[in-house]
Amino acid sequence: MIRKSILFLLSFALILSCQSRKGKLADAELDILDSLELAADIQISEEALDEIVQSVSSPIEMAALIKEIGTPFSLDYLATTDYVDRYNTSFQMAYSLGVFGADLGYLNIYNKNTQIVDYLTAINKLADGIRVGQFFDFVTLKRLATSRENIDSLMYISVNSFNNIDSYLRENNRGHLSALMMTGVWIEGMFLATQVANETSNPALSERIGEQKLNLNNLFLILNPYKSQQQIADLLTQMNEIKEVFDQVEITYEMGEPETVEKDGMVMIVQNEKSNVQITDEQLQQIINKTEEVRNKLIAF
Amino acid sequence: MIRILTLIFIGFLFVLTGNIQAQSAADLVEQCANDAGKDATYLKDFIVKLGEAKAGSKHPVARYPLVLSKNNVYRFNVCTTEQSEGKAIIRLYDSNRLIFSSYDANTQEEFNPFNFLCQKTGIYHVFISFIDGKSGEAVGILSYVMK
Repeated sequence: MIRKSILFLLSFALILSCQSRKGKLADAELDILDSLELAADIQISEEALDEIVQSVSSPIEMAALIKEIGTPFSLDYLATTDYVDRYNTSFQMAYSLGVFGADLGYLNIYNKNTQIVDYLTAINKLADGIRVGQFFDFVTLKRLATSRENIDSLMYISVNSFNNIDSYLRENNRGHLSALMMTGVWIEGMFLATQVANETSNPALSERIGEQKLNLNNLFLILNPYKSQQQIADLLTQMNEIKEVFDQVEITYEMGEPETVEKDGMVMIVQNEKSNVQITDEQLQQIINKTEEVRNKLIAF
Repeated sequence: MIRILTLIFIGFLFVLTGNIQAQSAADLVEQCANDAGKDATYLKDFIVKLGEAKAGSKHPVARYPLVLSKNNVYRFNVCTTEQSEGKAIIRLYDSNRLIFSSYDANTQEEFNPFNFLCQKTGIYHVFISFIDGKSGEAVGILSYVMK
């Protein structure tokens, strides 16, 4: 009876283990060089931190704006996936996961499925490296990318996977990795936008870049609790160089009441309260230069 | 020994139930993201499970912060699970000011989904609750509407 019960339980455990990709974890992944330990000097509450993290805007929006203003697709803007095997610390893996996530968003917006596979492969490797591979459905994503069948599903699963990875990291006391991933997403998104702005003068893009002051300030709040870690302190020092330029950018507000209109059979609320960004050409150029410098330094590791 | 094995088995059942619930939530997120429409690109989801309001107290509500950017059109929609007692409402707030609600309590009209043309980049809040403070589970979706 006992033997039967044990066999039954073992079978049950096997079924459970097959339900997720956790079984895919190699022993080597458990030996990653993780120099990031949870900081003892966290000063803001987990709840407040969680709110700030959730409020960092999506890389899809920046990529969509780049496409909407008529910018042709360019692979030159993207980080190369050639050196992904060199990223072997959790700092490097989490940061690069964000970088490639932003690039994946850009590729998705332009429907560049051929290149998408390289980025999916790199992301899959990095996600496994920091033990969040179970949230990244590589097989389905690769199939969708290669079959060119369902672009909407590809976009949905990509974005949803990143949201799930981020939530999982924060809920499992690995908020430092979530913060690094968010930073990678933001810096790469900024790099894409500023490279385009360097080549094409567009007021909407300049304004969107100036508005990033808000997201940058949020990132400082997210990273600051972990600044006792040397790598994060160094990252903050580099990002502070971008922040110093952003501090000169002014954002003003105009008051107004929202209006409700009907458009294409759907209710649309038009906000009449407005934000206006005052950014000079010189400030924009400084942001472009500083972002490129910091981004290139960070992906070189 | 058999008692221990039974306890372990019950433990496994709890894990399995958790997996099934997580799967159901994932399915609802996907379905609700599809409901947003072909012109909408999924950005975020808000999974909510709320209990019934106690007599004399405020209705339970879940709140989520988000950054919205100027000149973008966002779509908000909410889907309620079949097992829920109440129907979910999604509301958008700017600081403490209500911008719009997917349900008008006076006319009992529903506006799900609704679009929001953002003109001010900043932090907003999404609130999700259930009509009349009933209990339920729901998923709210934030999408980007392509121009």
